[in-house]
Amino acid sequence: MIQYSRKNRTDQRSHQKLTEKPYYIINIVFAGVIVLMLIYSGIFSPEKNNYPVVCIHERLTGEPCFSCGLSHSFSLIVRGKIEEAYEWNQYGMRVFLFFLAQLLFRLDFLRLSLKRPENIKHLIIYDSIASLTIFLISFWPFIESIFTGFLRVS
Amino acid sequence: MEDVKNNSGQNLGIAALITAIITFVLAVIPCVGLIAVIPGIIAIILASVGLSQASRSNAPKGILIASLIIGVIASLISVSQVFVATKIAKNADKWPNEIQNIVKEVQDDVVKDLEDANISIKIESNGEKVEINASTQNKEKEQKLEALEGVDTLKNDTIQQKK
Repeated sequence: MIQYSRKNRTDQRSHQKLTEKPYYIINIVFAGVIVLMLIYSGIFSPEKNNYPVVCIHERLTGEPCFSCGLSHSFSLIVRGKIEEAYEWNQYGMRVFLFFLAQLLFRLDFLRLSLKRPENIKHLIIYDSIASLTIFLISFWPFIESIFTGFLRVS
Repeated sequence: MEDVKNNSGQNLGIAALITAIITFVLAVIPCVGLIAVIPGIIAIILASVGLSQASRSNAPKGILIASLIIGVIASLISVSQVFVATKIAKNADKWPNEIQNIVKEVQDDVVKDLEDANISIKIESNGEKVEINASTQNKEKEQKLEALEGVDTLKNDTIQQKK
């Protein structure tokens, strides 16, 4: 009985933490978004070519952009066809790895912040620095393309 | 009197931060970067409303300010993509003529190069060899022929030219 009440209190406390602390909610939401993205890549296949998202840049300008074929690439990576994925988009793998790393980050940082709530400020700082670094590494070709495009037209 | 802090605007702050980060990731992907301006504006509105609520009730503003900054940066990136795409789309009308001119120039260069080209074709089949040499250096040949004959071939040409 005592054990039950203690467990119940712990559950209540962790539930309270999960809803009260913004960091927990943000981690859970982002993990959910990445899982949805993986499901999207799994549902839509390059064979059927039934992707609902089209390249707006290509529609508008008639030119393919750096991120064209990214959905195809993700779907092929999920199916284990790495070489074909590179053919669709050469940057597909590094962007996919970014999202995969982010999924692991979210789950791990959520676990650590629940385990040691007193260190949450330090965890947020580490998380921000690590996430920004891998974001810049993964998305650098796209960021560069935005700059070169801007310089081209101006 | 002690200041009483509450969580007013915090839920809006969380929503704004999530929207702003998703917008930021979308904004740097050229395919969907153009539409990222919509969630970017939503993030800015959420953060602004949250900030006004938080300042009224003396609540913490850290998340709200962070989401506002990320939202503004993401929207700026998205707007820059819209600017670039619009410019490219406008220039797209001029480019076909430019491409045609470039193709014509390349064609002229190729034809000019071929005029002085030496073509050699070697065919090997069952131990038999056939070699065909062709040259389009007509002017050189004419000059060589004239040098060999020692006369102007065109003047002494037996074939009468049509008048």
